[in-house]
Amino acid sequence: MLEIATRRRPYVLLAVSLVFQILLLAVQVKRPDGARLIRVWAVELLTPAERAGSWAMDLIHGGWTGYISLFRANRENQRLREQVGELTMRNSELESRAAEARRLAALFDFREAHADAPMLAARVIGGDAGAGRAVYLNRGERDGVQPNMAVITPQGVVGKVLEVYSTTSQVLLLTDKNGGAGALLANSRTQGAARGSGGPLLQLDYVSNDQEVAVGERVLTSGMDKIFPKDLPLGVVVETRPGNPFKQIQVRPAARLDQLEEVLILLERKQWDWEPKPAEAAEAAKGAHGPAAKSATSATAAKAPAPAGGEAKVKP
Amino acid sequence: MNPTEIAENVSAPPIPVRGVREPRLEVHKFRTGAVVSASFLALLLQAFVPAHVWKGELVGDLIELPLLVTLYFGLSRRNPSRGLLLGMVIGMAQDGLSGANPIGLFGIAKTLVGYLASTIGARLDVEHPVSRMVLAFAFFHLHNLVCVFTRRWLLAQAVPLMSVRVLVASLVAALLAWPLFALLDKLRQDED
Repeated sequence: MLEIATRRRPYVLLAVSLVFQILLLAVQVKRPDGARLIRVWAVELLTPAERAGSWAMDLIHGGWTGYISLFRANRENQRLREQVGELTMRNSELESRAAEARRLAALFDFREAHADAPMLAARVIGGDAGAGRAVYLNRGERDGVQPNMAVITPQGVVGKVLEVYSTTSQVLLLTDKNGGAGALLANSRTQGAARGSGGPLLQLDYVSNDQEVAVGERVLTSGMDKIFPKDLPLGVVVETRPGNPFKQIQVRPAARLDQLEEVLILLERKQWDWEPKPAEAAEAAKGAHGPAAKSATSATAAKAPAPAGGEAKVKP
Repeated sequence: MNPTEIAENVSAPPIPVRGVREPRLEVHKFRTGAVVSASFLALLLQAFVPAHVWKGELVGDLIELPLLVTLYFGLSRRNPSRGLLLGMVIGMAQDGLSGANPIGLFGIAKTLVGYLASTIGARLDVEHPVSRMVLAFAFFHLHNLVCVFTRRWLLAQAVPLMSVRVLVASLVAALLAWPLFALLDKLRQDED
């Protein structure tokens, strides 16, 4: 190493001498703009290095910031996902409660609107493990429930109480093969018998072929079965065709029997108007339940059954 | 102790050149103070004679005594380090005495002349008068070339690369080298 340095000494000395004198010149010489040449050189020499350093620092800082941001974003994303999950569950729960509140409000309004008819609200707590055409209610003998009491919803007839236990009771739905009710056509007042078929529809029997029956015509209880009061909504005609010896008429139940959650049990078989007149409803609503009665009136007015529409089939 | 004295007192062997089998050339030594005195005298003459003797005459600008002294000692002593240091000192002193040039202009040129002259002197026989004149002529142009490039590059001065005046000055330098170098030979120490 020392030998190399000794051998290269003239070159090193020459380079040092020349550089020294060039710098000396640069210190003395001024450019036309007044700046000393050494300053111009220094700036030109250092600017790229400074630029490179600045670029490198920006790169490092940007990379670090990006990494940190990404890390934070990832954590925030995870936290937000958990929050979304919790809120979704909460929302679902609230929607369920809101739907329940709406159903109960409708039930309450209906009951308020028919304050003269003694009835008991009950909750469906289970279905039949067999054919599935019976449900269990959370009301029983202790609550005054007795066999053959009518069970309804604000939309229409559900069925009758079949078995009564101390705190629960079993309800036979209209659509059960053993279920049914005395019925009449709302327009012609022609009487018949609605019976369950085991499916979702009811069969209206004993209506003669001569009788004009239109699809969409309402079917009401006739009161002849000694269970259901007269003129309660049973359903709507969805299909009619001539039969032997009677017309074959399919009726869709007015109550949504596949979505039962809360029902009303009629404690007495007392005749009452399903759709009370507005004056009577206002009278019944006097007192603490004014708003409820008002909504009951509107709810009752809205209870006109929808026509079967395109779903109905008419077979000649 | 200035660089010239340091260079004078250091005895250096001939520089070997790798891969070239060179002839054994003699390294001349000079009497104590000879280099300094000759250099000083050359600078003095260069600074004051044109200004005080040949006032305003062009002949004064044609003579470059410091260059010839640098060239002579570089060729004779054959030590590149010493040669370049001597050239640098003489050149910077000349810049300082001229007053018009920034310090370093002649310094750079004479540093290169001193280095190259020492390098060439270590390889060639430069004792013959003709070779000395040729070398003086060539080194004058090299010196001028370096000065022109320095002026153009660093000082942003528009200086012509070649002119009749430069050519005449180089011929003057070559002619002057003959008697001057013979005179300076008298300053050498006897070898035996």
